[in-house]
Amino acid sequence: MLNPQLEACLQSVQKPGRYTGGELNSVVKDKDSIRLRYAFCFPDSYEIGMSHLGMKILYALANAREDTWCERVFAPWGDMEEQMRKRGVLLYGLESGDPIRDFDLIGFTLQYELCYTNMLNMLDLAGLPLESAERTALTPIVIAGGPCVCNAEPVHAFADIFLPGDGEEITNTLIDLLIAHKEKGSSKKEFLLAASKLPGVYVPSLYDVSYNGDGTVRAVTPQGDAPAKIKKSVVRDLDAMFFPESFVVPSVEVVHDRAVTEIFRGCIRGCRFCQAGFIYRPIREKSPETVDRQCRDICLSTGSDEISLCSLSASDYTKMEELLTRLVAWTDDEKINIALPSLRADNFPKELMEKLSGVRRSSLTFAPEAGTQRLRDAINKNVTEQEMLSTARQAFEGGWTSVKLYFMLGLPTETPEDVAGIAELAQKVVDEYYANPNKPKGKGVTVSVSVSSFVPKPFTPFQWEPQDTREQLEEKQRGLFSHIRTKKISLSCHKTQTSLLEAALARGDRRLAAVIKTAWEKGCRFDGWDELFNFGFWEEAFMEHGLSVAFYANRRRDCGEVLPWDHMDYGVSKEFLIKESKKAGENETTPHCRVKCAVCGADKLNGGECDARCKGLV
Amino acid sequence: MRAVRVWFKKEGRAKYLSHLDMNRCFTRAVRRARLPLWYTEGFNPHPYLNFLAPLPLGQESAAEPLDMKIEGEITGAEIEKRLSAVLPEGIEVTAAADPADEALSIAMAEYGVSLLFGEGRTAAAFAEKSGELIKSGLLTAEKTGKKGRHKVQKQINICEHIFRYEISASGTVCSLKATLPCGSQSNLNPSLMISALKRETGLAEELITIRRIRLLKEDFSEFR
Ligand code: SF4
Repeated sequence: MLNPQLEACLQSVQKPGRYTGGELNSVVKDKDSIRLRYAFCFPDSYEIGMSHLGMKILYALANAREDTWCERVFAPWGDMEEQMRKRGVLLYGLESGDPIRDFDLIGFTLQYELCYTNMLNMLDLAGLPLESAERTALTPIVIAGGPCVCNAEPVHAFADIFLPGDGEEITNTLIDLLIAHKEKGSSKKEFLLAASKLPGVYVPSLYDVSYNGDGTVRAVTPQGDAPAKIKKSVVRDLDAMFFPESFVVPSVEVVHDRAVTEIFRGCIRGCRFCQAGFIYRPIREKSPETVDRQCRDICLSTGSDEISLCSLSASDYTKMEELLTRLVAWTDDEKINIALPSLRADNFPKELMEKLSGVRRSSLTFAPEAGTQRLRDAINKNVTEQEMLSTARQAFEGGWTSVKLYFMLGLPTETPEDVAGIAELAQKVVDEYYANPNKPKGKGVTVSVSVSSFVPKPFTPFQWEPQDTREQLEEKQRGLFSHIRTKKISLSCHKTQTSLLEAALARGDRRLAAVIKTAWEKGCRFDGWDELFNFGFWEEAFMEHGLSVAFYANRRRDCGEVLPWDHMDYGVSKEFLIKESKKAGENETTPHCRVKCAVCGADKLNGGECDARCKGLV
Repeated sequence: MRAVRVWFKKEGRAKYLSHLDMNRCFTRAVRRARLPLWYTEGFNPHPYLNFLAPLPLGQESAAEPLDMKIEGEITGAEIEKRLSAVLPEGIEVTAAADPADEALSIAMAEYGVSLLFGEGRTAAAFAEKSGELIKSGLLTAEKTGKKGRHKVQKQINICEHIFRYEISASGTVCSLKATLPCGSQSNLNPSLMISALKRETGLAEELITIRRIRLLKEDFSEFR
C-alpha cells in the first residue's frame, strides 16, 4: 500500500506511525467514483491535529458527500521533512498516500498565529508555489479557516480563499461551487469571482490595500463588486448542524483521544482580553438530547472510554444537570469517564454527584488572570477573591493538596501593585490550606502559578492596546519572582519572545506575508514549540523587509486608525468594542450576557437571535 | 472467566505501530467490538490483554499471540469476526482459540528478512559476505541489557544465538531466514543481527522488511 520511497522515509524517522494513515474509521474511497479530492491540512504535528474537534467535524462532513473524498494531512516533523526532501516524496494524504498537489481543494485550519510557517512549509512540501498568484490553474484551490482568519492579512498571499466563521455550512457550498466550475472548465479567476459572491467567503486577491506614510493602513478597497465587508458564517441551529457519527481513532498516542462534542458555541462572559470570547458569538446552545446522542455515537464507533464536553466555559451551559443525568444513565455501565473541565460541581444534587464518581478529577485550576480586583474589573474577569478562596477551601477540605493558578502579565492598565497582587493571591491560597484544621498530616500544599504574557488580539476591546515590550515584561517577571517567599508556590513564566511574535502576527497587515516567507526560508518551522522557536530569524526577516516587530506589537493604535481587519465583519461591532475599551480604562465591569445583553452586535449575523438573551436565566 | 488466545497478523502500514500503540489499539478494539471481557478491579478498570511476544516497531508478523480473559459466552469465530472489523488497516485477527501452550514455552522465533539493494551485485555481495561472517562464528553487537535496575551496554556474539539460518540473493534482493531466541529467557532482535552484518560488510540496503514467521518452542515445534 505504501510506496517504496515513503517506506524508506518511514524507516529513518522517529514515530513513523504518525505518517502512515490506516487508522480505524479513516475513510477510503474509490478514486474513480468521486468528483472532488480534498486535503484537509492541520499545520501542526499529528498529535496536536488529531486532538482537534473542528478537524474531525469537517473531515466527516466532506466525506459524508458521495462526490468528495477528504483526506488528512499534518505537518511532518523535522526528521520526516528531511527524509521527504531527500527522497523526493511529496506531501501526501494519509488515506491514499497520493500527493495532495493533484487534489482539487487544499484546506488549512489556522488555529494560532505561530503555525503560519508550517502552512508555507506544507505547501512547499506538496510541490506547490507558495503564493496564490503563482498557482494559476483552477485546482488545487487553497482555502483556510479557523480563528486566525479574523485577521488573515499576514497570510493573505498564500491562500486563495479564507472562510471566516463557522465552517460547517460554507464548506459544502464551496465544494458544490468548485465541482461545478471544474466540470465547466472555468479559469481560476472565474471561480474566485463566483466564490466571492457567497456570504462568508473572503477572496483576498480581490482587495487592494494602501498605506499611509507612517506605515498604517490608509484603505482596503474591494475590486469590482467584491463586498466591502465580509461577514463571517454563522450556523444558526447547533442541533441540526452536521456532526460525525464516528471519529478516526488514532493508532499512536495523541494529546487528546476521547469522545468530544461541543455543548454551546460563543461565550457569555466578555473577558476583554479573550478573542475567542468575542469571535464565536452569538451564543448558540446544543440541546442535551443532541449532545447525549452524539456522545453515544462516538463512544460506540470508537470504543472511547472518556467523554469530554467542549465549550469556552462549561459552567455556563444552562442544561448541564439534565445533560449529566442523561449521560450517567449509560456511561456508568459502560465504564466511561466524563471529563468536566472548570466546572463548579458543588452546584449539583448529591445523587448526581455520586453517580459521577467515575468522573476523573482533573487538577483544581483557577484562572484569575490578574492579581488584584481592580485589574480583574478592568479586564472584566468577573471572579472575586472571595469566590476563589472559598472554592479552594472546599477543595482542601475535600482532600486536595494542589492548585493551579493562571495569570497574565502585561495587561492594559497594569501597575506594580497588580504584579505583586499575583504573589499575594497565591499566598492567600497557601494560607487557606494551612487554616484547614483537617488538612492531611505531613502533607504540604503546592500552588503552581503559571504566568503568560498578554497578547492584544483583533476583535477584542484591547485591539488598540500596545503590548508591553520584552524589557517591560521581563522586568515584571523578575518583580514577581522577588515577591514570592515560599517554596509552596512554584512560579513559571512563559517566554516573552513567543508572545511578542504572536502579537505582531495577530495584528499584522499584508506586508507581513513577505516577512513570514523570509522567516520560513531561514528555517522557521513549528514556531509554537519552544525548542524549535528561533526569534533571531524572525527579527532578521522583519528587518530585511524594512519592518519592525515593535510597530505591530508595541504600538498604541488610535480608535480612528484603519485596522488591517476592518473589512471583516464578525458581528461584534466596533462601537461596542470602543465602549468596552473605555470601560476598561475606568475599571468598570460589564455584566455577563444572561444578566443583561450588552448589545455586542453579534446577534445580527444570526437573524437577531442569541441564546444567551432569548432563553434567558433558567 | 476463561483465557482465549487471539492470533493476529501485523503487516503493511501497521508495522509502524509500537508495542504501546498495539496495546492502545486493542484496548479500544475490544471495547468497540463489545467483547464480554473480564475487567480488572479498581478505580480505573481495564481489560486484561497480554501480548506474549511484543514485536519491535517496524517489523511485520504473520502470527502474533495475544491472551485475553473472557467472562461471557462467545465463540472463537465470533471473537475473530468482531475484532477484525474494528482494527486499524494491517492488523487482522486470524484465529481465537483456547491456548494450547504455556506462554512461557516460547523459546525462539523464525524470521524472514528481505533487503532491497540498489543493484544486483551488492545484493549478491551482501549475501555472500554475510554467509561467511555467520560461518566464521564471530559477529559482535552491542546490546542493552539490565543489571539489577540499571541499563547496561554489553557485548554479545550474535553467532552464538543463531539457531538456524539460510541466506541467498536473487536480483537486487537478498533474503535471509533466521531462527533466533525469543521470549523472556533470552531474546535477540533480528535488526541487531542485520545492523551487525551491515557494519561488517560495509553495505547498506535501500529498503528492508523483517517478518516474524512463527514462534517456536524449545524442541523447534510450533508454539500454539
Ligand atoms: S447579543 Fe447580547 S447576549 Fe448575545 S452575545 Fe452579544 S451581548 Fe451577549
